[in-house]
Amino acid sequence: MEKVLLKKDLNSWAGKLGSYDIYAPFKSGDVWGYELMENQAEITLDYPNTAIPPKKILFPQREVLFEFEATQEGGMEIREVLPDDTPKIIFGVRSCDARGLAKLGKISQGGIEDVYFTRRRNQTVIAGLACHNPPSPYCFCTSVGGSPHSLEGMDILMTDLGDAYYLESVTEEGVKLMGSAEGIVTDPDDKQKADKEKIHSDSEKKILLDISDMEKINEALSEIFDTGLWDRESLSCLRCGICTFSCPVCHCFDVNDEIIRTHPLKGKRVRTWDNCQFPDFTMHSSGHNPRSDKASRLRQRVMHKFRYFNENCEEFLCTGCGRCIEKCPVGIDIVEVLEKAKTYEK
Amino acid sequence: MVTLEELKDNCRQILKEGKVKYIIGYKRKNGQYMTVPAFLDRIEEVDHLVWDPSCIYNLVRYLRDEKMRKEKEKEPDTRPVGVIVKGCDSRAVNILIQENYITRDDVYIIGVSCEKSGIVDEKKLTKKFAGKDIRKLDFAGNGKIQVTCGTKNSVVPAEEILADRCIECTIPTPIVFDVLFGEKTDREVPDPFKTIKELESFDTTRKWEFWKEEMDKCIRCYACRSVCPMCYCDECVADSISLAVKPDTTAEEKAHKIRWVEKSPVISENFNYHLIRAMHLAGRCVDCGECDRVCPVDIPLRYLNRKMEKESLDHFGYTAGMEPEKPTLVSCFREDDPEEFIL
Repeated sequence: MEKVLLKKDLNSWAGKLGSYDIYAPFKSGDVWGYELMENQAEITLDYPNTAIPPKKILFPQREVLFEFEATQEGGMEIREVLPDDTPKIIFGVRSCDARGLAKLGKISQGGIEDVYFTRRRNQTVIAGLACHNPPSPYCFCTSVGGSPHSLEGMDILMTDLGDAYYLESVTEEGVKLMGSAEGIVTDPDDKQKADKEKIHSDSEKKILLDISDMEKINEALSEIFDTGLWDRESLSCLRCGICTFSCPVCHCFDVNDEIIRTHPLKGKRVRTWDNCQFPDFTMHSSGHNPRSDKASRLRQRVMHKFRYFNENCEEFLCTGCGRCIEKCPVGIDIVEVLEKAKTYEK
Repeated sequence: MVTLEELKDNCRQILKEGKVKYIIGYKRKNGQYMTVPAFLDRIEEVDHLVWDPSCIYNLVRYLRDEKMRKEKEKEPDTRPVGVIVKGCDSRAVNILIQENYITRDDVYIIGVSCEKSGIVDEKKLTKKFAGKDIRKLDFAGNGKIQVTCGTKNSVVPAEEILADRCIECTIPTPIVFDVLFGEKTDREVPDPFKTIKELESFDTTRKWEFWKEEMDKCIRCYACRSVCPMCYCDECVADSISLAVKPDTTAEEKAHKIRWVEKSPVISENFNYHLIRAMHLAGRCVDCGECDRVCPVDIPLRYLNRKMEKESLDHFGYTAGMEPEKPTLVSCFREDDPEEFIL
């Protein structure tokens, strides 16, 4: 289904979606993030990209898995905690981030199903937004199999035509959601169709970063595992978690018990984001740490994204959003590292 | 003013003489006007060295990496590491010496004076020159910065684009150095604690509301801790696993490690983490402002540390990192120390 929605009607469409929790880009100070919108009138899609990707809505940084409480009989009562089932809409998701959600979806189905993610994803509709201009000078979606108007992971793709949005449904959920806009939307005319196509093809040409020979990256990386490249490139690394916490596909987590009361025992088992760049990520209880230096941790981040995941799933664990480059406090640039990896001479 | 060529010559000289293992400095980020930290161990790499208002980093933080590296090596190269420091950074070196974390011989200090200027706040800069193709920043002397956009040069008063900490800085010249570039400059700052003045005037409820909102933003990426030259503990109370675990640490010792701060990024735990950090920096923070700069969600962390600095100064007349041979603020007692706040 393809429709056109006047920009001024975006809020009235949102107004008809009362049964959904609506998430949209929201600016707080200088920082954009996805927030639960209480007032539809505040929804704006005129934004570059958020600091933290929309994964935080479907895979929150803190997730209570279950609660436990010691019983008087000396046993333990365990109560499963599942995400609430209010349907959600996320407006304005960029193509890179929607692809990120699609990749997370695949990961959540691998081996044991991640019921928390799946449950949320199944009740969420993604109404994404194609990019006119790359939101960041570090965007490189086209180098990793994406595009500024990719449909992967979207339920609806919206394209900004100036005074209106061009809506394309991608899934059944998308068709259903667009149906709710009946009376507000119109059928696109030929000019609008042509405009949309032109915006899409132009947007691809505006991406500044281009990594060549990505099909050879797996081979290149397999040859430089044990080289000094990683020492060199990680010298300035601070071992903070910005690159992976702001990544739309990084999904590692830690599980801890948060104790509310010790006698009788009562608490919650909680999953929180973890991060391969933290030194304690791979710490063994023996005191041995297989990735005890920055070089091996940077190598892991790059190898996982462009080699291991590639070998297992035939795609990269990176959508080219550029956040890790833009946000790195010391200017470590994964594209630069890949370029060096390709030409590294042992 | 600092002459870059003189600075480079000195760096080439000390590398050539083998006086230092390597030099930590600044170089241009690929094709951009901002810099990144540079680790120079070959003479020809010194060509890329930069000193301009985009040198935002406190490079003293990397002395911790050097120390950790050295501890792992069987026969470490014990020559000093060269490090380029601004006024604030030099005080951080002093504290590391004062706290016996490093010795004076571990480091060859190349001081650069910010004189009447300082380093930029990239956000202020890109706002002021929005839409312009910024190519280069230069010190223009006398409290001015030259910004080159395309082929056009504009000279602006430094305080329009300087980082807040530089505007409030009274010590622009390194305190400790082996070699100094630029002039020793005294700087009169009418109100060095201007940043926190408004916040101090809030009543408790309003302060609580302010910080609650800020703490809610924290994603616990620990960039503030990771970038801080003073956060060098092997074992941080914020971590649920101790990095100080050794093969001979007993199971009992491990089991008894207290988890002070939960990993969950909720307001109470975020507060806990940031307040612990602020307390541990009292009398140690040199206001290099790095924690504030790196925060990906813009929590004004400088407010916390600046307040602790003000308390140290007001109550004990103590400014961190000025006299490495004297005891630190929290490890000394004087009979005339104020005690009206002791309950």
